[in-house]
Amino acid sequence: MNLRELLNKIFLIEVFKGLALTLKMLFSKSVTIQYPFERRKVYEGFRGRHALVRDPFSGNDKCIGCMRCTTVCPSRCIFIKREKTEKGMVVTDYIIDASRCIFCAYCVEACPVCALVLTEDYEYSSYDRKELIFNKEKLLKNWDEFTKKWPHDYYFNKFWQPPGIDPSRWPKTKREQGPIPIKRAVEIKREEQNESISS
Amino acid sequence: MMETLSVIFVTIIKTAIYFGILMLHVAYATYAERKVIGHIQLRLGPMVIGPHGILQPIADVVKLIFKEDIIPSNVDRRIFTIAPLISLTAALSTFAVIPVNDGWVISDINVGILYVLGIAGIGTYGIIFAGWSSNSKYAFLGGLRSAAQMISYEVALAMSLVGVILMAESFNLTEIVNKQQEYWYGMFLFPQIIGYFVFVVAMLAETNRVPFDLPEAETELVAGYFVEYSGIRFALFYLAEYLAMFCMSALATICFWGGWTVPAFLLKFFPFLEIVPGIIWFILKVYFHIFLFLWLRGTLPRYRYDQLMAIGWKVLIPLALLNIVITSLFKYYH
Amino acid sequence: MNPENTRELLINMGPHHPATHGVLRLVLEVEGEVIRKCIPHIGYLHRGVEKLAEDLTYVQALPITDRLDYLSSMVNNVGFCLAVEKLLGIDVPERAKFIRTMMAEMARICSHLVWIATHALDIGAMTVFLYAMRDREKLLELFEMVTGARLTVSYPRIGGVRCDVNEQFLEELYKFVDEFPKKVEEYETLIDQNRIWLKRTKGVGVISAEEAINWGLTGPTLRGSGVYYDVRKFFPYDAYDKVEFDVPLGKNGDVYDRYKCRMLEFRQSAKIIKQCIEKLPDGAILSENSPRIRMPASPLKIDKKDIQFEIFIEDKTIEEFIKKFTDVYASVESPRGELGYYIVCDDSAKPYRMRVRAPSFVHVGVLPRLCEGSLIADVIANIGSIDIVLGECDR
Repeated sequence: MNLRELLNKIFLIEVFKGLALTLKMLFSKSVTIQYPFERRKVYEGFRGRHALVRDPFSGNDKCIGCMRCTTVCPSRCIFIKREKTEKGMVVTDYIIDASRCIFCAYCVEACPVCALVLTEDYEYSSYDRKELIFNKEKLLKNWDEFTKKWPHDYYFNKFWQPPGIDPSRWPKTKREQGPIPIKRAVEIKREEQNESISS
Repeated sequence: MMETLSVIFVTIIKTAIYFGILMLHVAYATYAERKVIGHIQLRLGPMVIGPHGILQPIADVVKLIFKEDIIPSNVDRRIFTIAPLISLTAALSTFAVIPVNDGWVISDINVGILYVLGIAGIGTYGIIFAGWSSNSKYAFLGGLRSAAQMISYEVALAMSLVGVILMAESFNLTEIVNKQQEYWYGMFLFPQIIGYFVFVVAMLAETNRVPFDLPEAETELVAGYFVEYSGIRFALFYLAEYLAMFCMSALATICFWGGWTVPAFLLKFFPFLEIVPGIIWFILKVYFHIFLFLWLRGTLPRYRYDQLMAIGWKVLIPLALLNIVITSLFKYYH
Repeated sequence: MNPENTRELLINMGPHHPATHGVLRLVLEVEGEVIRKCIPHIGYLHRGVEKLAEDLTYVQALPITDRLDYLSSMVNNVGFCLAVEKLLGIDVPERAKFIRTMMAEMARICSHLVWIATHALDIGAMTVFLYAMRDREKLLELFEMVTGARLTVSYPRIGGVRCDVNEQFLEELYKFVDEFPKKVEEYETLIDQNRIWLKRTKGVGVISAEEAINWGLTGPTLRGSGVYYDVRKFFPYDAYDKVEFDVPLGKNGDVYDRYKCRMLEFRQSAKIIKQCIEKLPDGAILSENSPRIRMPASPLKIDKKDIQFEIFIEDKTIEEFIKKFTDVYASVESPRGELGYYIVCDDSAKPYRMRVRAPSFVHVGVLPRLCEGSLIADVIANIGSIDIVLGECDR
């Protein structure tokens, strides 16, 4: 041990260095985000709450009941109820058990008509397990709730058209899928006002 | 008869005022701790209740008082309930002799330092009782650690104050402060720097603070001796810990920093300092020490049990003895 | 008291003890504070990942490997993908290889940050915890930007990666790794030379090189004892043979040397990421013949058979590769050590058996050897230094 190390040891130099650092940090800006009051913006393509896309033209969901999502789902949390009618196969209910889901977004990739989406919405905790089992109505409602908050006019999920696969091998509906137009929040508000006035 | 009664009455009034102000300070010391540690760690600390969380301590107290009082089964009920009271009473009693300004003291006894050290030693019983009666292995180990730690560091603590006593030629705390004014440097901090170092380290250990917080080492013993306590009983331990911090800070201020006085050489250069009341000086100095506690907590890791004992016996006590020898020689030849 | 009636104190440390990193349970037989016997109990986080994988196709099993070592899920994914790629004989495009390397190193930094955070917290340096978390947050954000998830990324694909990285990501990542060594110095200011830290870590939990090999240790835990072994150097996968980096080695095999190894790995990882960004080639990110979620030309045509084998190996029939392989083993250097996947296949799209060689599992085994004879406080330091994740250990 040379003299310098000895002096360092006696005068607690490394302790004082640490103290200097913490003192510096005491007066630097904190990195906290005060969560319920301010929220972090998630990046586009975040895999959050499930929703069924509401077709802007028909006002209904786009699911065709091909069962691709149920097959691909690793945690088997998607259940589709179908009925055979004169028109052909009709999807009567679409159920996602969100408490089982592992949010891999394979269903979004597999869906040939881009009917399903994992939205950027991440606040959907609930006191009741039943509320986490989304049926068709709830999934469409999720979409409405999500689009109300969405800041842009169009929405497009990056998992709809999985990159890396040659576009010529996508189904036609997937290939032609453009950004979905969203009713602006203002319009929705105006409609609600009109409804309340009329009723 | 009337005189005795009036003395008792005045003492009670004094005690009540002292107690009230002290409790407010303790409550806000918890707030200060959370804020300081928070900002050191780039967090904000409590922010929700009141502006910048200023009402947080009050909310905490209300919550702790109204919480269900849980006494686990198989504990030694009598000792379990009495342990926090012992800790708190001991911690509060020390303040009886601590002067905050010239003459502002409840009981100006002539063996002040001895009284403080003795009463602080009683506080250990509360911790040992808590650890023993909880019927929990973690609490038991915490209690054992604390007993050994406090006993060995009390020696170093007392030794470090011997130098001060030698220089002040008194055990009375007010006397010690006044004596410091007679020297040109106005504080025992300068001649007693070794003693001060030993005192600071021993005070950290005595109050179970980082880096000597072994009795309640969170990641080893979960919470140490009060692991089974909750609600108001837990709050009493918590209070006792903070009161001990205040007590030790006040002792450091009085013995080494000249209490409520301003050093003479500083007054020469900055004459305007004279208008600052003594009590403000005192509180500032105490809060510097409280900040030191928090600052160290934000910086240092924790010692191991055997290392802690080694430091106490092999480093601090020899240093304190050295300090006593130097001070005695200084006194003899001066 | 009659000495025959005395016995050692049994302490249950865990499974909900704050310092046992999840749900490890140690039964300690102590004499005062000295540990006479230490028995680890595992299995509190057992979810049967290996068995689950037998019921899932190769593509489906990938998101499940996320949940093994949840602090570095990217590395787990890469390991599984490598095994399946070896099985199917798929070549990964160059760009995907570099992206994978980059991401795996990001995951390594992430994981090591959690390690330094918890290790320092266990020894009492609370502040390091939050400084490390501050930097990890940035990395998690970068993960989210590309993969869509912060922790369970499911990002690699068999034969490549899932999404391409964009310019913004690369820029921000480069900025991060440029500044990162300074941040590491910040943690080191608080603990590296601190006398308390040195006292708590030096000479604690010593394991010699020979013994470490015999116990089957890998990763920084082995390298702390001075053994030069790193899967990235010995069996290079992805783009590790195209980047330059050193493998930091320890000397004494104590807690401090293992700590030092990981601290040096921070800098090496940052170096690797930098090189990957600089050398990142253009091109495809997914191999042409990788198994994928099949998409029929017409969405409305539903074939019963088609649904059953939805996620299948498209261009190869199973019989073709079954003749070449019946089992395959691939390993990666996870932040904890050598993470291996051993897959036995039959003629279906699902593994017949998947076995994970988890470093944490092996490292838990050495814990009694490290702890016996030391103090309770050293157990905490030892658990921290072998850096276990119970999700991986219990599977």
